[in-house]
Amino acid sequence: MAPKRCSKWPDPSQEEGLAQEEEEEDFALTQRSSQVQRNLQRLSGAQVDQKVSELVQFLLVKDQKKIPIKRADILKNIIKDYKDVYPEIINRAGRTLQQVFGLRLVEIDTKHHVYILVSDLVRLEGENLKQDHLTARLGLLTVILSFIYMRGNSAKESDVWDMLKRLGVEPRKPHKLFGDVKKLVTVEFVQQKYLEYNRLPSTDPAEFELQWGPRAAKETSRMQILQFVAKIQSKDPKTWSTQYSEAAAEVLSCSSSPPGDVGGDSQGPRRRKPSVSSSSPHGAL
Amino acid sequence: MSEAAGGGDSPHDGGLDSGRRQPFPSTSRNGAVPEHQQRRLAGGRGRQRAAGAANEGVDGEEEESDEEPSQDSERSAGGSEPDGENTDRRMLRHQYRQLINRVQQNREDMLSSKSNSLTEALQEANKLFSGVSQAREAALDAQFLVLASNLGKEKANELHSEMTVFDSPAFAEDLLTFMGLNRLEEEENNSDDEGITGGFLPTNAWHKLGAEAERYFRRSPSFHYMLGSFKSDPPVPRQRIERQKKKGGTEEKRAMPAQLKKMEESHQEATEKEVERILGLLQTYFTDDPNTPISFFDFVIDPNSFARTVENIFHVSFIIRDGFARIKLDQDKLPVIEPSGEEEGRENDQSAQVRNQVVISLSHQDWKDIVETFEITEPMIPPPGISQENES
Repeated sequence: MAPKRCSKWPDPSQEEGLAQEEEEEDFALTQRSSQVQRNLQRLSGAQVDQKVSELVQFLLVKDQKKIPIKRADILKNIIKDYKDVYPEIINRAGRTLQQVFGLRLVEIDTKHHVYILVSDLVRLEGENLKQDHLTARLGLLTVILSFIYMRGNSAKESDVWDMLKRLGVEPRKPHKLFGDVKKLVTVEFVQQKYLEYNRLPSTDPAEFELQWGPRAAKETSRMQILQFVAKIQSKDPKTWSTQYSEAAAEVLSCSSSPPGDVGGDSQGPRRRKPSVSSSSPHGAL
Repeated sequence: MSEAAGGGDSPHDGGLDSGRRQPFPSTSRNGAVPEHQQRRLAGGRGRQRAAGAANEGVDGEEEESDEEPSQDSERSAGGSEPDGENTDRRMLRHQYRQLINRVQQNREDMLSSKSNSLTEALQEANKLFSGVSQAREAALDAQFLVLASNLGKEKANELHSEMTVFDSPAFAEDLLTFMGLNRLEEEENNSDDEGITGGFLPTNAWHKLGAEAERYFRRSPSFHYMLGSFKSDPPVPRQRIERQKKKGGTEEKRAMPAQLKKMEESHQEATEKEVERILGLLQTYFTDDPNTPISFFDFVIDPNSFARTVENIFHVSFIIRDGFARIKLDQDKLPVIEPSGEEEGRENDQSAQVRNQVVISLSHQDWKDIVETFEITEPMIPPPGISQENES
């Protein structure tokens, strides 16, 4: 199970699966920029600005629950008649989000066109003043992500529960903080794309395995989680040589502007590793 | 996997079931082919031939044919009827299923690098395969093989990551420490609440962990309007209206009884009171002067007010109607009034006394004339306002 490498270009084999309608829509929405520019000239600047603002607000509100945003929803609710200039609108919205809010609009599924928002700013010390149930959930999620990664990027669901039991979290018992934990882990985290929940073949009764989801891959990294584990266990991250080399490889391969970033001028450093930095004019903002 | 296969092969060299796994058959049995093929066809074991054909080349068939004589002998020993065959096959399938279940149940054990149980399971399957002659059992064997190979793959993976073993129990312990577990020295705590042996987690344990974890994420902060979203509130004015109505209602109710009281007094009780008052006056006058009836006009006329005179006549008429007083004509043919004793009056009224109805008409001029003629200077019936004031 080799570490997933972020590819720079969308996989051409992915596009084969698109249905006829989607292909046509895709064609309309991904016209070349020259065509889009021509379409733009038919509209007034104010109209397009309006749409960009609406889209920014829409994305911010939709992001509250951390459920990825579908392009279909964007088109239906915001873009409506302005489909022919969609690429321009979404790009400008991405730039606004980055420059004004410090958020990056990332397309985590280029086939089905699903977006999430990720923070673009480096975390500061002493930042988390608000600790609520979401904080607690993130703690649980991080434990699971750590376990999955340290066990080779995939873990059986039963193994995950075995470990969580040591922390007082059981799938069949309602938890004081988390409630129905099984649902939280196998449904909610999966919907939010933090985790992937796949059935193991030829198992009866059905068994499942858990892996990192695309949102986890964007919001954190193997190196970050390794640092987390190292901190908890008060050890040097290099103690786990396999995992460490895997994490280092990922950092190197994703050092340039990651694919799927919308409004994508090249970004500031995604990771805290000082050796990997591509500074950009926007980094200063 | 290869290790296991090697282990499977060695004890069974020359064994009947090795035919399937050994790629190179022994050559000594070549000559027996046609004879056995005939026997096979006669025995109606076309399936076996197909299974044999699945093996590589003709050699596989030969190996299959190798098995025939021994199988035939086995079968003849067990009776060559189809029933015996089915029993054997059923037994075989049962054993396969048992093996598969056992492997699935003991997955952990199979995967453990310290145990040979996977190898042993494969050896057992090897043995079972010796009895396989038909596709149904072969399918079970294939199922087992898939299971075993998956396990083998996992086991191999674990071998790889053993280089840097991740000790998850230690990780869990360290997590608990970080979260601030209050460890208990005695083993009293197997509380159902926490499910953690040996201590209690403080209530903010997970929050603390989450706060640390946040530092490793680039989560976008949730966007919420500071003052909440706009909500219209129609219910509030409705309540206000209701309250006002209620207030008005109570006030009105309070007003009602007061007014009613006043009205009743003015209309009904006033007349009765007057009548009673006048009767009282009449009787008072008569007690002073028992044998002299009072002139009617002297009694009722009020020289100061014509209206009151009319009222007095009105009230006196009630007295007469009820029989408390009588009006007669005296010697001068002038009307006089005198109270009648109560009992007398009533009895007389009911039986013998003739009741006359008289209509007295009195004009303003008549009134003035009477006042002059009779020289009435003061009313014998004082006006009601004055008397009330006196009374109050």
